[in-house]
This record gives sequence, C-alpha cells and structure tokens, in this order.
Amino acid sequence: MEWKLFADLAELAGDRHVSVDADAGDTVGDALDELLSAHPPLADRVLDDDGDLRDHINVLRNGENVFADDGLETVLDGGDELALFPPVSGG
Amino acid sequence: MSLSLDSTQLDRYSRHIIMDEVGPEGQQKLLDGSALVVGAGGLGAPVIQYLAAAGVGRIGVVDDDVVERSNLQRQVIHADADVGIPKVESAKKFVERLNPDVTVEAHETRLDTDNVEELVADYDVVVDASDNFPTRYMVNDAARIHDVPVAHGAIYKFEGQVTTLTPDGPCYRCLFREAPEPGTVPDCATTGVLGVLPGTVGCIQATEAMKLLLETGDVLEGRLLFYDAMDMTFETVPYRENPDCPVCGESAIDSIEGIEYSGGCTIAD
Repeated sequence: MEWKLFADLAELAGDRHVSVDADAGDTVGDALDELLSAHPPLADRVLDDDGDLRDHINVLRNGENVFADDGLETVLDGGDELALFPPVSGG
Repeated sequence: MSLSLDSTQLDRYSRHIIMDEVGPEGQQKLLDGSALVVGAGGLGAPVIQYLAAAGVGRIGVVDDDVVERSNLQRQVIHADADVGIPKVESAKKFVERLNPDVTVEAHETRLDTDNVEELVADYDVVVDASDNFPTRYMVNDAARIHDVPVAHGAIYKFEGQVTTLTPDGPCYRCLFREAPEPGTVPDCATTGVLGVLPGTVGCIQATEAMKLLLETGDVLEGRLLFYDAMDMTFETVPYRENPDCPVCGESAIDSIEGIEYSGGCTIAD
C-alpha cells in the first residue's frame, strides 16, 4: 500500500510517496501505524499526546475522506491509494 | 437591476459581454457586485488584479502590513517604489490606474473579532487571501454566520489548497475542525515560497469569486483542490458537511464571541 503525503508531512517523512507493509484486509489504521512507526518525526507531528490523530489531519482513501464513514477502521482493498494532508496557511 | 453600461464600458468589457455565459447582464452583476479581499499579499495581488480588471464594482482590501522588498518576488501589484507604504494604499493605487469603474475600500487594519463580522457582512463575496490560521478561521466563522460565500486559497512552498465555502455547503471547519497549534506548520517567511505559486492559486480564487458574483458554473463547494507546482498536478477531493461542525452543524454557533483565535481556534462545546 502506498501513502501520498502533502505539505510539511512529506518533508517530515522525507518523501511524498511512502510504501508500507499493509495489504487488502488490513485497515487504514494498520497502514497508518506502519507509516508512523517507520517515520517517528511524522508521528510526532500528526498524533496528539494521547496517540490519537490530530483533528486537523485528514486521511483519504481513493480520494474520499475516511472519517465520513468508518474512519481508521476502514478495511483496505488491493490497489487502494492512501493520502494524509494537513491544512496550510500561507498567502 | 437596470442595464446602464456606457460606451466605454461596452468596449472595456466587450470580451465578457459577447459571451452568453456573462453578457451585458452578467457584466452588470459584476459592476454592481462587491468583494472583500482579506490580505493584499501573494494571493491577494492576483485576486485584486483580476477582479478589478473584470469590473467588480466595489473591492474591499484588508491588510495592516506595509510593502517590503521581499514581497516583490510574488506580490505583483506592488512595485519597487511602493516599499514602505501600506499594502492597501499600494493596492488602491494599482486599481485606480487599471480601472476607473472600481471603487477600492482600503481597510488598513488587522482582521480581529471586533471588526470581522461587520466587514464580512458588507460584501457579496469574501476572498480569503490571508497568511495565517487565526484569520482564516475567523473569516470562515464570520462569513458562515452572515451567509457570505468565501473563496478560500492557501499555499505552502510549492503546493496550494483551494476550496469555496458557500452558505449551503460544508465550511472550512468541516474539513479542518481546528487550527494546528501555532508553530506546528511553518510559514512562508520561514520556508520560502515559489513566486508564481500564489499567482496560480489566487487566479483560481478570483475565478471562483467571479462565478459566485455571476451566479454561474460549479464552484468548489464540498471539494478541496490540491495544486502541486512541482509535479504539475491538480487533484480534487470531495468533503462533506460534518453534522457535529460547531459552525455549520446542527448546533451551530450564532456569534464568534468567546472564540479564542490565537491558538487552535477552538470552539468550546
């Protein structure tokens, strides 16, 4: 499964595209855990003190916000595209 | 609405008037319309340029900064000789040179909880071209309370995010409920920004503002557009209204009183 990262999240992970060890049948949360355990600076940026994803971080699966439905419990299909993005504020 | 285009205007706006989608009626809507541009910086510059050229009759510009030389790499309405003068004054000067049909209302102030509602409510459309989260959340909240649509755009180094917040669609807090804590996301002064990036993003915001004034086309309602200048890709991602949204959800606020915009812009439950 591959993650696409936006803005400063890509910088913290060192790449805009990061492959993780998660397959069909695993959940979005599993794929996120894999991503964050491989990139601790990214984990510090997107998780709060309780280890939950911060309110302003969005997770997309195939271009749809996962929190509109099953959230991190969403089960992955083969070939899914995952994305993680924060708001930006520059003007 | 009475059509009152004079011969100079028929000439000036002829490329609009000739199109069925705009026509003389649409041009009259633009001339009778108003837009508040929040920020006369990288995003605000092209927005002001194109809205003024198009003949949007009344353009409010809010900014409390003065022009600095380091702005000129991207803020294309300001010139070398403007360094040191207020950005709103420089913006007004630019528009006066471009189009005498347009009245610029220069608000040389910082948007805050005391002035945001009155300013936002006085215009047909708001273009959020600001450069910080507190202002962005304040604009979202005040515009929603007063049913004014917002053409939102924001940039980071080589990337842009654009969406349009209509009174009937989801708001910015449906997408990002709270702002990142200050210092979490680095700003342009720290990270740098590709000079032409706000040009592209600001032009999309100006396009959305024009469509809102013309009441035509499909705006980016419930859609977030990502622009990546490095990869040269555009992607749109749908998002929905959040029923629990504190600003547009079922138990929505009717005043911004008490919201602390200096930190995470949190609205207490």
